[in-house]
Amino acid sequence: MTATAHPGTGRAVDGPAPGPATPAPAVAGGLVRPADGDPVRRSDGGRVRLADGGPAGSAHGSSTRPADGGQPQPRPSRLRLRLGLLAATAGVAVLAGVSLFVGATEVSVGDVLAGDLTAAQAQTLVSSRVPRTLSILLAGSAIAIVGLVMQLLVRNKFVEPSTAGTTESAGLGLLVVTLVAPALPLVGKMAVATVFALAGTMLFLAILRRIQLRSVVVVPLVGMMLAGVIGSVSTFLAYRNDMLHTLSTWMTGDFSGVIRGRYELLWIVGGCAVVAYLAANRFTVAGLGEELTTNLGLSYRAVMALGLSIVAVTSAVVVVVVGGLPFLGLVVPNIVSLAMGDYLRRSLPWVALLGAGFVLACDIVGRTVIHPAEVPIGVVVGVVGSAVFLYLLLRRPSGAR
Amino acid sequence: MSTLVRRAAVAVVLVSALAACSAGGSAEAEPPAEGESAEPSTITVEHAQGSTEVPADPERVAVFDMGALDTLDTLDVDVVGVPKASVPSFLEEYTGEEYTDVGTLFEPDYEALARLDPDLVVVGFRSAAAYPELSKSYPTVDVTFDSTDFLAGLEESAGTLGEIFGKEDEVAEALAGIDQRVEEIRPAGEAAGTGMVLQTSGGEVTMNGAASRFGLIFTVLGVAEAAPDVASDPHGEVVSFEVVRDANPDWLFVNDRDAAIGETGGQAAEQILDNELVAATTAWQQDQVVYLDGERWYIVMHGLSNVEAMIDEVGQALGA
Repeated sequence: MTATAHPGTGRAVDGPAPGPATPAPAVAGGLVRPADGDPVRRSDGGRVRLADGGPAGSAHGSSTRPADGGQPQPRPSRLRLRLGLLAATAGVAVLAGVSLFVGATEVSVGDVLAGDLTAAQAQTLVSSRVPRTLSILLAGSAIAIVGLVMQLLVRNKFVEPSTAGTTESAGLGLLVVTLVAPALPLVGKMAVATVFALAGTMLFLAILRRIQLRSVVVVPLVGMMLAGVIGSVSTFLAYRNDMLHTLSTWMTGDFSGVIRGRYELLWIVGGCAVVAYLAANRFTVAGLGEELTTNLGLSYRAVMALGLSIVAVTSAVVVVVVGGLPFLGLVVPNIVSLAMGDYLRRSLPWVALLGAGFVLACDIVGRTVIHPAEVPIGVVVGVVGSAVFLYLLLRRPSGAR
Repeated sequence: MSTLVRRAAVAVVLVSALAACSAGGSAEAEPPAEGESAEPSTITVEHAQGSTEVPADPERVAVFDMGALDTLDTLDVDVVGVPKASVPSFLEEYTGEEYTDVGTLFEPDYEALARLDPDLVVVGFRSAAAYPELSKSYPTVDVTFDSTDFLAGLEESAGTLGEIFGKEDEVAEALAGIDQRVEEIRPAGEAAGTGMVLQTSGGEVTMNGAASRFGLIFTVLGVAEAAPDVASDPHGEVVSFEVVRDANPDWLFVNDRDAAIGETGGQAAEQILDNELVAATTAWQQDQVVYLDGERWYIVMHGLSNVEAMIDEVGQALGA
């Protein structure tokens, strides 16, 4: 992991502690830029200086581990970046295409092109395949983006909704509202789930602020313990009310029930993703710590509040509509920041594309292995995601941060 | 005829046991008696998890399986302990004061059991995992069976209980009644066309095939499976609505799992299925969607009176 990727991974939110101060200036050098303007619109000169932060920062990382993906990156030229993005988009488009034509009903590309679809095939496409593919694209990219935003705000690479108690809190909220006010419309249930998700995440931050963090790994551990505690409250409630099975169905991501009319709420997370993109530079700055953020003229609290709201809303909506997609928000941003650092505005499109592509691929696998029945996506993502998570944990040299 | 012989045999055993007792409890047992016959006599019962020595005609019975409870109820056997939270409404009297609550369908309450001190414990399906622990303290039998051959399984589970309580005749009689109903309904099942069994829970839909607990609709009553290559899993498989639309069943049999276990607040099965893909099926269009009685099909599953009610339910839906 490049140093750019994470200045103060080991520290909690409470600002520049004595910790590893070295990389901060280097990174700051690179990242002050986004704060005072939108680098996307800058001339090439501006972008060169910005990207210079990359090599400067990664020099720190590469001193311990040169082969670490952090070797002085030849700055990806604008053209190469564009081409890369284009290729990635094309890849996701191909996967989305495959997703449209994989399923119980036989619908072939040839039939669509020739325009001779039976009524049943047309119905399959319009009411089942397209909604499903859209919902995968929305949920996959949004959870990946939210993972990255969370990692910046908490300043730890191993945090994401499912390792910080956010997903579990949303689930608890959904359970509570179902028990207390079963007749509430879905939007209302979602609002309650969002409030719970927000509260759970703030609780997580409050705990982090109070404990001494000696290792990067402690942060996700704390998060997972918190998730475990919240999960056990849910389990207890569900047990007392005979809802254990229902709870596990909710918490396991599953696109099998997605059809027209049952996924549209996911557009909300699409909106959240757009907001995240627009506010990307602020999150990047907030990732540098409270003091620096304040010095740069931003309200740290406001940025945090915005970020956490996006995280909570997205997690809650995805849990309500689809279920849990564990580790997705962790794996994808890490892979992207290995390649291109943590400048959010640049990496967000990649994170979104990769997240969508990853979920698409997993869902296609889930739909094919026991065709025409399905393996729930939460299971597939969980298996693949946890393997990559372990790999990311273990590959870090012990001294590196 | 054979029942007469069996009764005679039981009488002979009883008489010889009495004779052994009255003989002053001498160590010398009569030659034909198996084992020591000095103490209250026991019989050895074969069941799903081996064989168990149970007292002949046990008096204090705890039952963890609702199908077994139904069978015992039909056979007029007294029971002292049941998991009260799961007792179906048609066996409601077992929630009364005089019965002890002995835990849940899955997990025995060992303390309550110890106070109750039953001389027979019956487990099945959900509680089968508790057998090793229970059998350490009490004579325990497991009435679990494989639902791929449902009627044979029923015969086995009811037969085990009938044997213990010496009610083989009543069991045989009930089974014969069920066989007769099956024969009446089966032609309608075979003529009904294709069918599919869906279960909804927490907004998710699973499909259940011939090997599932709902399989008797196909295997016993002769309805053709609309999608025979799916759902080998006894608990059903997650399917999308496309599968339902594609298989285009003539009949849909639906179990609302949430409703079956008394859950409120989730989406009802009717709501979940009411979508354009399901609406395209023959079953939906011809109003041939049967909502099964969840208590009977999902909770109780077997039992002498329950199975009759289950097949009657299908029979009535099919107009047989």
